[in-house]
This record gives sequence, C-alpha cells and structure tokens, in this order.
Amino acid sequence: MIQPAGSPATKAAPGRNKDQAHNWIRFVRKYGPIPANDSAFEEHTGKAARRAGVAPITFLHPRFAEVLGCLTGQQMLSVILTGTAGDGKTHLCGKVWEALQGDATTWASNNPYINQVLPSGATLHVIRDLSAWVPQQGAEWNQAERELLETFSRSLFETSTTDYFLIAANDGQLIETWRRLPDSEAVNKARSRFEQLLVEDLESLPDVALRFFNLSRGSSAELFDFAIQAFIDHPGWQSCFEGEMGESVAFGDKSPIRRNFELLQEPQLRQRLRDLLELCDYNDLHIPIREILALLVNAVLGHPTCNKDNLMVPTDVAKIIQQGTVAQASIYNNIFGGNLRESRRESIGVFNYLDRFRLGHETTNRIDGILIFGEADEALKEYYDAYLGNDPFYGADASYRLAQSNYVESAEEDNSNSDFLDMLVTQRRALFFKIPASEAQELHLWELTVFRYAGEYLEKVVRTISPPGVGNGKVERAIINRLVRGLNRVIVGMLITDDRKLFLGTSLQSTGAKVSRIYEDAISVNPSRGERVDVVWNGNKPALKVTMNESISESFKLNLVRYEFLSRVAEGALPSSFSRECYEDVLSFKSRLLTALKKRRLQEGVEEDNTLSFQRLRLDESGRPENITIQLNIPA
Amino acid sequence: MALWLDEQIWGHRIHPQSPWLIFLECLTVAEYFHRKGTLLDEQGSYYPLVFHPLRRMHLRNILWNNDVIKDLENERADSNTNWTTWLAWMNENAQNLNDNDFSYLKPRFEKFSDFAFLVGMLRDASVEGESNKRWTSRFVFPFGASAIYEDATLDGKRDYVNFTRTGELLYLMLCRSASAPELRPYLTHFLAGDNQWNKLLQVLEKAPEENGVERKHSYLPYKAHPSFDRLGEDWLRLFELRLPNFDVLNHLVTMGAFHVMLYHLQVAAAWRGKKERITFLCEVVAPKKTLVRELSVINFQENNSLSGEAIQAYLTQITSSDDWLAAMQLRTQQDQYSKCVEILKKEIWWDIEEYEGAEDPAQLLEFIRDKAQHRHQQHAGEVHRSYGRLVGLVSRRATTKFRYAPTDSFLKTLIFANVPQRMELKEFFHLLFERYGLVFSEREAKQVIEEEDYESKPFAANAARLEARLSSLGLLRRLSDGCAYIINPHGLE
Repeated sequence: MIQPAGSPATKAAPGRNKDQAHNWIRFVRKYGPIPANDSAFEEHTGKAARRAGVAPITFLHPRFAEVLGCLTGQQMLSVILTGTAGDGKTHLCGKVWEALQGDATTWASNNPYINQVLPSGATLHVIRDLSAWVPQQGAEWNQAERELLETFSRSLFETSTTDYFLIAANDGQLIETWRRLPDSEAVNKARSRFEQLLVEDLESLPDVALRFFNLSRGSSAELFDFAIQAFIDHPGWQSCFEGEMGESVAFGDKSPIRRNFELLQEPQLRQRLRDLLELCDYNDLHIPIREILALLVNAVLGHPTCNKDNLMVPTDVAKIIQQGTVAQASIYNNIFGGNLRESRRESIGVFNYLDRFRLGHETTNRIDGILIFGEADEALKEYYDAYLGNDPFYGADASYRLAQSNYVESAEEDNSNSDFLDMLVTQRRALFFKIPASEAQELHLWELTVFRYAGEYLEKVVRTISPPGVGNGKVERAIINRLVRGLNRVIVGMLITDDRKLFLGTSLQSTGAKVSRIYEDAISVNPSRGERVDVVWNGNKPALKVTMNESISESFKLNLVRYEFLSRVAEGALPSSFSRECYEDVLSFKSRLLTALKKRRLQEGVEEDNTLSFQRLRLDESGRPENITIQLNIPA
Repeated sequence: MALWLDEQIWGHRIHPQSPWLIFLECLTVAEYFHRKGTLLDEQGSYYPLVFHPLRRMHLRNILWNNDVIKDLENERADSNTNWTTWLAWMNENAQNLNDNDFSYLKPRFEKFSDFAFLVGMLRDASVEGESNKRWTSRFVFPFGASAIYEDATLDGKRDYVNFTRTGELLYLMLCRSASAPELRPYLTHFLAGDNQWNKLLQVLEKAPEENGVERKHSYLPYKAHPSFDRLGEDWLRLFELRLPNFDVLNHLVTMGAFHVMLYHLQVAAAWRGKKERITFLCEVVAPKKTLVRELSVINFQENNSLSGEAIQAYLTQITSSDDWLAAMQLRTQQDQYSKCVEILKKEIWWDIEEYEGAEDPAQLLEFIRDKAQHRHQQHAGEVHRSYGRLVGLVSRRATTKFRYAPTDSFLKTLIFANVPQRMELKEFFHLLFERYGLVFSEREAKQVIEEEDYESKPFAANAARLEARLSSLGLLRRLSDGCAYIINPHGLE
C-alpha cells in the first residue's frame, strides 16, 4: 500500500476498494481507442473523472513553459496554438490560464472565449476553442466577435498593443475562420502569414508579433515519455494491484491486465515502443497525446473477445483464464491494435502508422524457424525456450502447441492453418519486444519490420548527430558512401558501383528521364577543394548535405523512408512498396543539384565558349562511371 | 469538297491528332513567323494564314532513315572505315534529296563513334518514338527552331494524316489570345534555341534551308473566344515558372490539346443552345465502383454527344431560314427541291452529285443530316474522346466505359499552370471548377448534379483520394483536420 496514511482507502471496507478499482478501469477505458474527433474531450473526461472519483491522467505539456513565457515578462507576444484533435491545445490553454491566476470559475464556465486583465494592465483574450466560438458555416458574423478578431489581426502588425491573445484552433479552422472574416487589410495580411507559418513549419516571422505553436510538429516520442509516466504513475492502478485487490482474480498473478501493466514498465519494451514512435516522427507521422493514451490503454486492456470495444473489464478476467484465452490479451499484439476490428484499427491514426512497419508480417527464415521448429531443433531450442517456452502468459501455451503441430503435419494449402498464421503474427510482434539488444544484430531484429535499416538509422545516424553540437558525432563513412551509391543509381539510372563521388548526369529533354547519358559533373564525397557530402542534422531530422563550395550547398532530408529507399537501391534491390514517392523525391533533389551546379559555374565564371562539346557518361565493365568528351567543329 | 459544315462551326480543321503532333504542327507555323519576325501576330488579317514550313531532309535522313548507323557504332572498326561505309550507304539509301552526299559531316566530328553516339542520343529523344511510323513522320524533340519541320509522306509530299491542321488552329488560337504579346518573348526565346542540342542539329544540316513550300487554307472562324484567352494564360504561367531544361514543353503540349478540346466542346454547346456550362465529373480512381464513376460515365456520354447535336442544330438553322421557308412555298416539289439544293450548295458547299434519292426536299434533308452526322463522327466528333484520353483526362481504367479519371501527369500540369506557389486545396478545387469545369469535391459536385442523384460522401471520398495521391507526388502538404495545401515545387519564390 502506498496510499498515504489516513486516506479513505486504507480504512475502507473491501467493497469500497473494489469499487475504486472498478471505477478506475471504467474511467480509464474512456481514453481507449474510440475514434472520437470530439473537441470537447477535455471537458467530458473532466466530468467523467469527477463522477468516478478519480483524477484525470495529466502531465504538463513539454511546451508549457515556452507558451507561458510569451504571455509574461517584458516582451509579451500573442500566441496561437494549432494542431490536430487530441494534441492537448485546450488543456494547455487551461494550464496557462491557471498559471496566470485566472479565475477558476470562469474557466469552468466552458465558454469558448474568456478574458482577464493581467497585472500589467493589458488584457489577455483566450479563445480556447475557435471553432466553437465563431459562427457556424453560413451564419452571419456577430459584431463583437468580428471586431475582436480584427483587433487581433491588427495587433500582430502594431508595435504596441494592450491586447494579447491566446488562441487554440485546428489548422483548418484557423485558415477557414480568417477566410470567412470580412476582408480588411489586417485580416488578409494575417491570413497569409498564418498560411506561411503553417505550410513552412515556422514558429515566428520577423514582421509579426506572434508566436505560433503547431503542436502537431512536436516529437511524439517525447510526448510518449510524459504520457507513459503519467499513465503508469496514476494512483488509480494502485487501487487495482495493491492490497487485497491485488490478490483478486481480476488483478492477481494470473491476470492479463496485471501482466500487461507490468510489462509496460519493462525498460526494453518501453524503449522499443518509443523507437517505433520516434521513427514515426522521422517519417512526419504525428501522433497526438490522445492517441498515445489510447495506445497505452489498449496495450493493457486489449482482448479481442471482450465487450464491444475489445477492452477487458475486471469481471472478464475470470472467464478468460477459465477459457484459456489469456494469450489473446498479449500486450505485444495490443500495441498494434491487433485486438481491434480492422475497421476500428484503421480509423485510428496511431495504429495506422504503426501498421506501416508491417511488424508481424515481415520476417526472416531464422525467426520463423525458431517459432515453428524451435522446440524440436537443438540449435534453435535455446531461443525457443527463452522467447516462448519461458513465457507462461504469451509464449507457447496449449493452443499454440496444438496449432503448431497441426501446421507442421498438415498439407500445405490447408485452410485450418490460418489460426496458426495469426498466432505467428502475434509471436513475431512479441519477439520484436523480447529480443535483447545483445542479440538484436544476430537475429536481425529490424528485419521484423519493413524498415531493415531502421535500427541503424536510429543508432548510427539520428542518435549520433542529434542534438547537434553535443559531442562530435559523425556518421560513418560507410553509411554515407552507401547513401551516395543509392543516389548515384537513381540520378544516373545505371548500376553505378562508385560511391566516392556523387555523379550528376542529364538526359536530353526532361529532368525526369530514367537514364542520364550526359555527364554534368561529379562531387567528391570526401572533402576536396570545397566539395563534400555528409549527413547533418537539419531542423528535426537528418539530411544528406551536398556541398559544392563554401556558398553553395543543397540538402536532402533523410526521413526513414528515404533512408531505407537509398540503402536498398544501393544494395541493388528496388523495393516497390515505397519506391515511387521516393523516386520522385530524389528526382526533384537532382533537379535542385543541377540548378546549384549551374549557379556554381556562373560563380566560377566558366565561359560558354563557341565550341560545341558534349560529355558522354558511361559505365566501364566494373560499373565505374567514365566520362568522355566529344568535341565538335562548327561549320563557319 | 464534299461538305463544308464542321469547318464553319470549328474551323478548318479540327481532327483527332496526338497532343505532341498538334504542338509540333503549331511550331511549324510559329517557326516560319519567327523567321519572318511576326511571331503570334496576324497583323490584322485573319485569313488566309500563309506560311512556308521547312523540310530539313538531310537531318531527317540522318536521324530516321539510317538504321545502319547503330550497327556501325557497334562494329568497332576504325573511324575512317566506318565513315566510308556509312557515306556509301547513305549515298545509296537516302531519299527525297537532290544530292545524297553527306561527306560534309566527316570534318565536323573527330570520330565516327562520336557522331554515332550523338545521333543515337537524338534518336532516343524522338517525340512519340515508340510508334511504328514511316520515317518521314518521325520527329526529333523540339530543342529549338532547328528541330522543327513539316510532316511528309514517304515520297516527300504533304498529307494530312499526322499533321491534320489542328496544330495550325492552335497557332491561330494563340495569336488571338489576350496573352499573345506576353507569350511572344517566351516563344521567341524557345525557338531561338540557344542550347547545345539545337546547335548540334545545325551541325548535322548540310546548309541552312532557303525557304519551304507555301501552305495556306487553315481557317479559324472566331476572332476571339474565352478559350483562346485561357489557353494563352495557361501557357504564359507555365513559361513563367522557368522550369529546368525543356520540362515546360510537356505541359504546353498537354494544355494545348486540352484547350482545343475545351474550345471544341464550348463551341458545340453554343451552337446547340446549351445554357448550362460544361462540366467534367472527375473520378480519382477508386478500387471499387462508386457513385462518382457512374455519374462520370453519364457525364462523359452527354458531353460526347454535344458536337453531333451542334451539327444537327446548324442544319436546323438552315432549314428554318427565310430562304429555305420561302423555297418551301414554291409551287411544285420540283421547284422546291431545286431551290433547296441551291441553298445547300451555298450554305455548306454540298456537292449534289452523290445524291441519288428522289427530288423531294424532305428526303434530301434526311440524306444531308445523315451524311453530315456520319462525316462528323469520323473526324471532329472524335475530338473530345480522343484528346481527352491523350491528355490524360479521359480513361477506361477498370471499366468498359469512358469516364473522366485524370492521370497524375495531367494533374501535375493543372497544378503547374494554376498554382504559382501554394494554394489551399479547397480553393484549388474551386478554381479548377470555375476555370475548366472540372469537378472533384462535394462542394462543386453539389452545384452541378441534380439533387436526387447527389450524395456528398462519395465526392468527399473522391477528394480525399486526390489529396492522398497529390501528397504522394510531393505536390501537396497536408496539415491537420482537413486542411491541405497544393504546393508547386517549382513555384515562384
């Protein structure tokens, strides 16, 4: 019992304890994977928490201090918070209101627009939900609202003002609102600035008195750290797992709810899950706080046969144990929404994004060997025992063994195998979280995902060079060379083996042509006469930077998909699943490189002489490019 | 002349032709007036359009009537031997020339293999090179004026199979667009061809050609038309992007043919007296059949029948004219018939010799209506479907019936021509609708579909599919909650 002494729980009768635990589970399910695009989520959970007698799951948003800083101190600035539903905009507004000693009843009024006079005498206007405040589509503007937004628009371009604003709005609503506002110079100017801030991912502009926080551009991995801590530390869980409730069937030693909650606290599982979310960040897939919480709730409570929402309640546990379906509550499967119906899973961003790793569907012979034949194979038995045999919850239970032996003994095209194939998916997912770092390389951990290079990308690229300036991390030459080889093959369209130079070629008519047979130039990868190619940190992700001289360079942002693409092309295989988009991206990078090259020629004053010459690009027998000059004599 | 009817409605002539060939044919006219210094300027005279396109037969023999060059490049014999073999071969096989001597080339190149390589490069850059055409109808990519020449038959004569004159109409449309003065410098710069490939083409020519053969007779009936202006604007904005290399040409080609198609439909609608504007319900291809697809199929068929209806309306106009009515008042059927024949001769230049029916105005009229429709269906009636397919607007993908289902490259062209930098997606939809009548999303669909046929969901899904597709092409930036921006990656800073 960690409950503070004297708190009601310690003295309460057993029935009271049970109520508390059950209330908590009932409440926490509200955070679960329900496709709610509900802008009043904050308000509703608040109400539900009061009814259940528990506190909502909260943590301070990582950007809180910065937002507050804009609205206090000498140099005040208005603030716009944008982002998608579930990013915590309203919550953040509330925290700022509280920190500025705003009146709690005013906040509780749920009025979308509230204001207060600050100690400095200035007025702070808070629009905590822009869409709820502006008139409905098609309705007329109300005079006061219109004037307020007009005042706000003007204040952005004035040097002194006594009106400061804190506005929370989804991106689309923000633009739509300013489009619908009656035209005025300030309104139009403001709208075009908002567009620029949104599209170019900026937080401020030199001529605008505004800080613009797009919460959808923050790191989901960072939010995950806060969210999982707040989730696990919530006292609601203590009422379940401690004291006599901890010995009940629902929350005792054999309970999948308890098991999942414990597994969620294991550092390796947390780290691997965090890795996946971090990789989503680097693929520009943002996961809002609300969906992270949904993931966590689903991880602990998920079970495909329970209730309408496929989440367990305490009273389900006895039956689950009795029926021997504990394994179906596997956290490893729940993390990917495996317990949910397909349509539900697809409607929730986080499961959609995690699905892109194809975890459970990708595999290697080695892994499947362990899973299918491991028990009987001496060489694999050790792994089998460690990963399946010794896991009484989600390892090889009776149903797994039965399905496995049926599978091994059945004819190839037997439909009854589909159960076992589903189990394999879950087990592969489990392995992704179980294999320790020390065996990750040997067992090719990341080949369980579609991104084989993801582990390398995180360890040897992202974590080596970010944050910039800390340490002197440099990406290995071998990696850079591989990326350059991949680029060379796409840019030139031939199977180049050379990776010490970046080759730039063109074809006759269009930049997009597949094969370039005209040589333009080659940039040295190792630093040489001002040229070099390296991998640097660029804003929020790594980038391949091609430097042509001290003033001319071009960068190619390396999100995970592009990194994987270039690496695989360098290996010789073109993965079709994500190749088209990347191919287009590389071609547009090529076009930028050619423009940069033109600029350098101009700078260096290369004279366009009167002779006509062409540089022919071709590969020698070992795949090394060679360029041959063809000189022509122009008739007089 | 069998009949002069389609020509009075749309001009002489509007025929099915591939967008690239329309473009090249247009350039043969432009090249001439560029030479004469009056590019895109009719100088107040709307008819006739007289010009002298070049033939460039030396160049064309080298590029297209010269299969032996590839074998020689591979032979690895020494340069001199190869030159000798090749020159002898050309002497024997070159066609449509007064002299088959190509020895002028030898001193211009260091080695035969250089020559062969460059010719190979040029051949690879042929326009529509895949199709199995006669060598006199193969075209090199238009690097500049030196690449422009007229189509010809195998014995070097002009026919109207590949170059059908629609390209000449395109040239006239550009002349008559409000943007002609602003387009002129861009087109001039392009034709001047200050690039190594255009220069290479000059090196391959024996000597500059003096003057071509006179061409005339093309005819565009309208001095001005909104579709001419939109064509000009689109070309201008494409030029203004200053795309690298020759990347702009593909977009000019697509836009050129697309606007000829729009002109064709709009003129048809006007003659037929259709009040509502022409719209195109576009399906962003879905895996399954959707309402959008169904409506698009019907919409396509309606648009496709417009031009035929215009032909009939034109004839109805003749038969309700005072002259015709007066003719019908004549006493004998014989007189009525003679008068009607006379009117038809005058109005549509009809040649009576092919008529073998009774001397009865009603029968005569029926004959004419059939004949006009038949003739129309064979040529001008094909324009909507044929151009629509070739520019990438019309498709039969996953169905047996034609509908509007734009390709990626057509969408790209629309974006390049209409989004100078970035534009909110809804605004883009609105603009495509206002400017071209293209319908993608529920907002526009609602305005053009009968209420009982309309459902918003399928169109919303259609718009969402477009959003996803453009995003995968790097042409769209998605923000949260249904807010997205079209991005022109070559946009003006």
